[in-house]
Amino acid sequence: MKIAKLATAESAHETASSPKAVTQQNGSGHMLNPLQKNGVDNGKHIGKLNGKVNILLVDDRKDKLLALNAILTPLGQNLVEAHSGKEALRLLLKNEFAVILMDVSMPTMDGFETAALIRKRPSSEHTPIIFVTSIGNSPNQMYQGYSLGAVDYILTPIVPEVLRAKVGVFVELWRKTEHIKQQAERLREVEEAEHRRRLAEAEDKLETETKRNRFFTLALDLLGIGDFDGHLLQVNPAWEKVLGFTEEELRGVTPDQLVHPQDLAMIVERVQMLKNGLPVEYFELRCRHKDGSYRWIGWTAAPFPAEKLIYIFGRNVTARKEAEEKILHLNGELEKRIAALTEVNRELETFNYSISHDLRAPLRSMSGFAQALMDGEASRLGAQEADYVRRIANSARRMDTLLQDLLEYSRVARASMPPASVNLDGVITEIVSLREREIEQSKARIEVRSPLGSVSAHSPTVQQILANLIDNGMKFVVKDQQPHISIWTETVTADGHAANGDNAPRPPSPAIRIWVEDNGIGIEKEFHEKIFGLFERLHPSHAFPGTGLGLAIVRKGVERMGGRVGLESQPEHGSRFWVELPVDAAQKPTDKLPD
Amino acid sequence: MENKILHVEDNPDDVMLMNLAFNRAGIAARLHVVNDGDEAIAALGSGSLNGGPPVCVLLDVKLPRVSGLEVLAWIRNQPNLRRLPVILLTSSSQTSDINRAYDLGANSFLVKPPDLDSLTKLVKTVAHYWVQTNVRPVANA
Repeated sequence: MKIAKLATAESAHETASSPKAVTQQNGSGHMLNPLQKNGVDNGKHIGKLNGKVNILLVDDRKDKLLALNAILTPLGQNLVEAHSGKEALRLLLKNEFAVILMDVSMPTMDGFETAALIRKRPSSEHTPIIFVTSIGNSPNQMYQGYSLGAVDYILTPIVPEVLRAKVGVFVELWRKTEHIKQQAERLREVEEAEHRRRLAEAEDKLETETKRNRFFTLALDLLGIGDFDGHLLQVNPAWEKVLGFTEEELRGVTPDQLVHPQDLAMIVERVQMLKNGLPVEYFELRCRHKDGSYRWIGWTAAPFPAEKLIYIFGRNVTARKEAEEKILHLNGELEKRIAALTEVNRELETFNYSISHDLRAPLRSMSGFAQALMDGEASRLGAQEADYVRRIANSARRMDTLLQDLLEYSRVARASMPPASVNLDGVITEIVSLREREIEQSKARIEVRSPLGSVSAHSPTVQQILANLIDNGMKFVVKDQQPHISIWTETVTADGHAANGDNAPRPPSPAIRIWVEDNGIGIEKEFHEKIFGLFERLHPSHAFPGTGLGLAIVRKGVERMGGRVGLESQPEHGSRFWVELPVDAAQKPTDKLPD
Repeated sequence: MENKILHVEDNPDDVMLMNLAFNRAGIAARLHVVNDGDEAIAALGSGSLNGGPPVCVLLDVKLPRVSGLEVLAWIRNQPNLRRLPVILLTSSSQTSDINRAYDLGANSFLVKPPDLDSLTKLVKTVAHYWVQTNVRPVANA
């Protein structure tokens, strides 16, 4: 029987101690027969398998361990054996035990010493220790044991039921503690989870806020919040960048402290509107910079009547505003200049008007009275006097022509020439009809290859130009030769053939080239450019009278209408003048026009 | 009764030349000359012209103080002178003047020719049309 045996073994304790034990443990330690261990290796982790609790049995004697084992096995717990205090401490390092059964008398390190060390460790500070000691030990030993934190003593010989009951209590206690611990742990875990969740939520919120805040902080625009009295409550850093005042300085500031005095009425009105919950449209006004200068800020604002707050958005538009003002200023300057120019133009017109009236009047008198002298009363004049008078009359007439041509040139150079559709056939017909008498006198032949088409140009100027060319063709002929003038047109495109010797800019898009060919005296190549100059004449006036303005008028007029002019000519082989003018877009090209 | 033509001209040379041209053209009309717009209006308005209104008016555009165009406008505002032929004379062929003259009711607009021959021809044409052909306006119609 186990109990008996244990009791026997216990009783034999005193008698059969090993020499080793004797020397170390006053004969209390003795060798135990090798015992089957409880499947636990020292140093190996002992788990709380299947809810079993660990019970540490410490005894240097294997037989006693065996006895304890036998007694406690029915508890169904995990029994761990240690054969020395040292081993017990080692096991305690890695495992938790519900209770320790400790033999008091062990060699090397007895139960009290071991207990003292156990108590020193925080992890095992409260692990209950039951000392196993023989009945014969002194009460001193017992006190010593209690002072070391023993919770109980069990005396040998052991009464198995008592031991089991005692150990059972601790097992139960431990279990309950464990249970409470676990509950507490679970509670803690739940709480921790909740806490973590809340923390995460808070963090999320914070992050969103932070991000939103970042907008506020990073915005280049002036963002701010004000109250219904116009005080600024909060502003972002852009304000300082733009206006120089820190956020601190701006807090509580009212519009009158910031806004240009001239713009104050505007802001007061806007604040009032916002207070009434009315929307405010974008407006611009000047705000004072800390340095005293002003910045143009463009504002929008939204009221939040529930909070009595105004949300403000501003943008620095100074640069744009200054540019605008510059432009305005420049425009003003420009207008002034235009006005001045208009004035000059007007004066020029008056001047021309005066020339045409006042300068021509004396010429009229000169030629008129000279003529009066010659006729009727002419008999009174000698041949020489008559010649002088004729010269006076001729000079006056020539001067009048010159004046008229000059006026015409000035008109062509300055007059506005709103383009319209000009039918060239009509123009030529009119020119020819006005020259009927001259044509008849000179027996000139004018050949028009209709249809000539239409150009987009200024009709009176076109007529002037073509008349000048035709007049030239009739004038510059060998004496007594019958003038022969041909007129035709052709359509030229932007990359069409270029006229020789001409580098004038080609009119954009299709143009009509009007040719005026004569059989006259022709012009040497070297003069082809020169003849279009002002007062350029190639012949003495007695041979071919003229003012030297006809072709200058032609060129000026053509250029004013966006066209070009040129010629092909050789001396004694006639001349072919051409004029290019923009084709009238509304009309079809020349060769497709109906008669 | 002798035909009377009111000639409004401030330039004495032009007055003389016009007279010469009328003589050369052999026109049986008397030129009554006034030298500015005010005088023209006075002559036409007060009936200071003996024997009623002229058969026509030769009116220089460029006159001191009151211009020929102003005189024309005044004439066209007088009920009894509304149909009086007015021929405007000018030294230049400024289109703006021409247009305004016709807008104001000019009967003709002539550029003064630079020589006496042309002026004579012109005077002949004018007289032929405005003095001989044209029905003389009824006084105080």
